[in-house]
Amino acid sequence: MEERQYDLIFICRPDTAEADVDKVIATLEHTATEKGAKIEKTEKWGRKRMAYRVHRLREGFYVYMVLRSSHGEVVKELERRLKVADPVMKYLTVRVDEELKRQDKLKRHREKRAARRPRKTVPSAVPSAAPAAAGGSEPAAAAS
Amino acid sequence: MADEQAPRPPAPPAAPSAPSAHTGPPSGGYSGSSSGGHSGPPGRFGPGGGGPRPQGGRPSGPGGPAKRGKRNFVRKKKVCRFCVDKSDYIDYKRAEILAPFLQERGKILPRRMTGTCARHQRWLTVAIKRAQNIALLPFAAEL
Repeated sequence: MEERQYDLIFICRPDTAEADVDKVIATLEHTATEKGAKIEKTEKWGRKRMAYRVHRLREGFYVYMVLRSSHGEVVKELERRLKVADPVMKYLTVRVDEELKRQDKLKRHREKRAARRPRKTVPSAVPSAAPAAAGGSEPAAAAS
Repeated sequence: MADEQAPRPPAPPAAPSAPSAHTGPPSGGYSGSSSGGHSGPPGRFGPGGGGPRPQGGRPSGPGGPAKRGKRNFVRKKKVCRFCVDKSDYIDYKRAEILAPFLQERGKILPRRMTGTCARHQRWLTVAIKRAQNIALLPFAAEL
């Protein structure tokens, strides 16, 4: 099975010490590697104001991770860990590989079309430029 | 038509009596009906439809601009912002780009308000809902 990619975001209580956050991250990394997943990126977004109150708190310490795994069991286990972890208020795991794949495909398609486009626009530009003037054909083509 | 006409000449020389009787009526009926049908309807509908249409269509044509002129109100065509940016993916993590598509109370703005194209609106709603779940965007504004 091909590898899947997940985004994992969790929010810690704003009053947790940075060391505790690191501890949570470390346990997650440990669990992930144990289960055969790979954590590609860990970003600490830091204290951010949340859009609504969670546990009566307005702020939270956001941590963002990118996870690669070939099976979903890892996510289950990580979410269980997050649920148990004391400083964690909220978490979210999103599978993103399909969307990234789609993005790639669209990007390639766009590039392919962009490469083809000059040939398409030239014939349409020539008739419009020809009646205007022989001398003014270049600016007209450039404008179009 | 060309295909029908092509087989007909070879058929009579090969077998004059029976095949011609077989091929004759269908081809004759076919050509007769088709020629009649083709010549008839275009003759009737072409001028008939063409006649009233300009008369019926023209008054309404100037009517629209005239009304618009009276109101002095030209609607600016809204363009999908994501198409302008040529974005292939709407990131749910960037709340600041999603926020303009929410009403003040946190509802997602409809396409007709923002001009977003169908495809991007589809992606946008998913992105907004994800952002809501991780408290990057509100479900409903707090008072």
